[in-house]
Amino acid sequence: MEWLRSRSAYLQAAPLSLIFLLFFVLPIAMVVVVSFFDYQAYQILIPDFVLFNYQDVFSSEVTYRTYFITFRFCLMVWAITLVLGFAIAYFLAFHIRTITMQIVLFLLCTIPFWTSIVIRMIAWIPLLGRNGLVNNALVASGFTDAPVEWLLYSEFAVVIGYVHLYTLFMIVPIFNSMMRIDRSLLEAATDAGASGWQTTWNVIVPLCKPGIAIGSIFVVAMVMGDFVTVNVLGGGQVASVGKAIAAELSYLQFPPAAANSMVLLGVVILLIMLLMRFADIRKEL
Amino acid sequence: MSNNKNQTTPKGAVSRRGVLKGMAAGAVAGGAMIKGAPFVHASEPITLRIAGTGVNQFKELADKAKEDLGFTIQYTSLTSDDVVKRAVTQSSSFDMLDAEYWMLKKIVPSGKMKGMDVSKIKNYDKIVPIFTKGELPDGTKMSRQGIAPIKVSYLAGEESSEFATDPSGYMTLIPTVYNADTLGIRPDLINRPINSWAELLNSEFKGKASILNIPSIGIMDAAMVCEASGLATYGDKGNMTKAEIDTTMKVLTEAKKDGQFRAFWKEFNESVNLMASGEVVIQSMWSPAVTKVRSMGVPCVYQPLKEGYRAWAGGLGLPSHLEGRQLDAAYEFINWYMSGWAGAFLNRQGYYTAVLETAKPFMSEDEWGFWMEGKKAATDIMSPTGQKIESAGSVRDGGSFWDRMGNVTVWNTVMDEDRYMVRKWNEFIAA
Amino acid sequence: MVHGRRSRSFYALSILFGAFVLFLYGPMVTVILLAFQGPDGGLTFPMNGASLHWFADIFQPQSIGDIWGSFDRSIKLGMMVMLATVVVSFLTGLAYRKKFRGSSVLFYVVIASLIMPSIVVSLGIGSMFELLGIERSWWSSAFGAHLTWTLPFGLLIMFAVFNRFDPAYEEAARDLGASGWQTIRHVVLPIVAPSLIGVALFGFTLSYDEIARTSQSVGALNTLPMELQAMQTNVTTPVIYALGAYTTALSLVVIGVSLVLVLAFRWRQKRFGSDADKGMV
Repeated sequence: MEWLRSRSAYLQAAPLSLIFLLFFVLPIAMVVVVSFFDYQAYQILIPDFVLFNYQDVFSSEVTYRTYFITFRFCLMVWAITLVLGFAIAYFLAFHIRTITMQIVLFLLCTIPFWTSIVIRMIAWIPLLGRNGLVNNALVASGFTDAPVEWLLYSEFAVVIGYVHLYTLFMIVPIFNSMMRIDRSLLEAATDAGASGWQTTWNVIVPLCKPGIAIGSIFVVAMVMGDFVTVNVLGGGQVASVGKAIAAELSYLQFPPAAANSMVLLGVVILLIMLLMRFADIRKEL
Repeated sequence: MSNNKNQTTPKGAVSRRGVLKGMAAGAVAGGAMIKGAPFVHASEPITLRIAGTGVNQFKELADKAKEDLGFTIQYTSLTSDDVVKRAVTQSSSFDMLDAEYWMLKKIVPSGKMKGMDVSKIKNYDKIVPIFTKGELPDGTKMSRQGIAPIKVSYLAGEESSEFATDPSGYMTLIPTVYNADTLGIRPDLINRPINSWAELLNSEFKGKASILNIPSIGIMDAAMVCEASGLATYGDKGNMTKAEIDTTMKVLTEAKKDGQFRAFWKEFNESVNLMASGEVVIQSMWSPAVTKVRSMGVPCVYQPLKEGYRAWAGGLGLPSHLEGRQLDAAYEFINWYMSGWAGAFLNRQGYYTAVLETAKPFMSEDEWGFWMEGKKAATDIMSPTGQKIESAGSVRDGGSFWDRMGNVTVWNTVMDEDRYMVRKWNEFIAA
Repeated sequence: MVHGRRSRSFYALSILFGAFVLFLYGPMVTVILLAFQGPDGGLTFPMNGASLHWFADIFQPQSIGDIWGSFDRSIKLGMMVMLATVVVSFLTGLAYRKKFRGSSVLFYVVIASLIMPSIVVSLGIGSMFELLGIERSWWSSAFGAHLTWTLPFGLLIMFAVFNRFDPAYEEAARDLGASGWQTIRHVVLPIVAPSLIGVALFGFTLSYDEIARTSQSVGALNTLPMELQAMQTNVTTPVIYALGAYTTALSLVVIGVSLVLVLAFRWRQKRFGSDADKGMV
């Protein structure tokens, strides 16, 4: 019986394992090999075993500054999406009473993402730009005399862009965690005289820890690796780790890009292991 | 060999009739092949997959080629970054590559391209000598700073992955479009004459300037600016020393930290949006982008500058895997491309085509005068798709073909110190 | 607070939710407004005339870019990825409810796939196919590339779904003699089904909007975002805004109609269903 159960576990995990072996492990193994290659302006890959791609990463002051900026983005976006995502998940899970309505509201939040990111990214200019809708409204209403310049092509714009893209990734796992909470627990808490805030803080939040952890993994991983948003909304002027890698790749400097990716991978895995210490998302399955 | 007098000799008219006749025959044959008798031709209909930027991937060209030649042109449009990457890492995904000349420095050593046998190119002798000799039709030598096409036009042999210094009979690319680039400005927001590259860093335009973020091109614009403002001197702008790169990047980085730039752009369309929306009033720009901004009713000038132009050129090349019928079809397509209709189409976009004399018969006298000779337009100038882009009486910025191509100072480039330059450029973007 | 009258927090959170939706639709507002540009209009303000030109133009063959061909491919690919993501994540989610060797390694591989910069994954897959001499296409290599992106989301959401899922249900089913498959089919699946909709939505949306992992793995024919991005290398017209406007409007209509249908069905069921009940008694 036990043997049967574990055999079925292997069978159930097999498709995923196979997909990742073919489309992730093998290709990335190639990338790891390449990260030790040499390269030149006119020769893209020179098979070799050199360490200077890694040395370049660690010895450059730019690396540390870039990581610092990216971490800062990460922290800001994480904090905002967490609070916003939790509140909205709470609303959807506890105040919306039918599954139909919940699905409808989720769909409503998803529709903007069915217009391609390429189009949405262009649309930020007429929205936040110097002569954009927001600035026109601000000037017309007399809040400011001249258009606000930092709405677009600034770190502010990048954070807005991230919050816009990633809050949904926080909402969904937290929502799913909330839906699994036994409603009688909440009634018991209310019956015992706990206020709404107390119930939220002492009952719901702890029970949502796995959902919060999963959402955080999404947000952290995506902000750390992003290069599209930061490029468009930063006007190409704001740095990020993902962008540095994208730039190296676009100039066909594969070995240093590979080395940089490996370093990024290591850093984010460390971050996530840290997160898992607060909530082991696999333990409570 | 052609000289620029050819433009006015009646020879053009003769060849025009010949071309038209040939094309009509081709169209009939092509039509028959597609619609009428699929069984007569035992083999599959040919599809040519062309990978390149959208710069000259027009549906009209593909449709016309299908009509004339009978085979299908399937475009894969890519961003300029992806063109090089695609060429090097997955050349099997296309049958023809539409690349820029500077990209060749990176693509050719990978051995993924095949030399084109010039004896199979019908109008080879009529290609503008910029590409075959490195000189203008009147014999003056073109600037060789940067990757001038002549430096990379020929391969040592058909299967070689090395460039030949002299015409070898095997071409890397058959030129399709090229142009002389300069700064675009918003005259309505600047209100004074601009005549030097140095103006890009003028603090008057703080927060309203932009430069393009493709290192091979951006570094040349930056060098033009630095040289013009006396902040740097260069031995060869197209092949800088490390020290020269450092100086250039230092100037740019300081300007960036002072907030000189509103944004950097990478794709054609971004430059249009920046200019049209008024985010930027002076920036590196490409000619059709200026035309586009103007057609939207926003004033924009492609400003000729006293230091000269930065030029670029693109062309069609063959991947090394191409053979048999596909290879024959590729040659056939290239010959068609140079036979005039396509050239006229591209000239009307504001680009220049490689064989001018075959294109001329396909353009009206007024169109030719406006686009190529810098004459005042007698009637409204229309885009190939039928939109009005210039009113009667306007003159092309920078004037005639020879005024523009004759004043080229540098070409887009890949330097020997490319690795160093790109690192520095990256640091500049990250700064 | 769960049942009964609406509390104050309900109204506060409703307002927050409304504001969030408004924020999500912010860029869409400009997309839709600018889709009404005149024939000479561009992608930014100022408006150059107002017309329905671009809404009609999108059905004409475009000079540059093959919108409908790539749209078709993207929808198909999105559907394939959605289906695969739901099935595979569900199965793997079940596997993780038991112990199996290598589960930790597999977990970190999946997480690594989420973190790895997408362009690097894309390049890896592209070069592997080139090396093996297999032709890339949107339904093979790009399909795999998309799965490496959607499956981490799918799997982690399954973790949240199975989080505190009481094993007693399954044990009860098994005690009643249900086979493993029957337990899943009749007990587990109905309970988690609504949450699978979330996984499906993620799967489709992430694939439909993917660029980076597609770029080097897609082969000769582009997906929609790739095609739109490549169109940026030439004159791009408000036709892409018209596409956005149509997509949004059509989605809203479809959702509105299905909502009305569901509600009508419910109402009927309630009305006639209760009659039936009475009849039974």
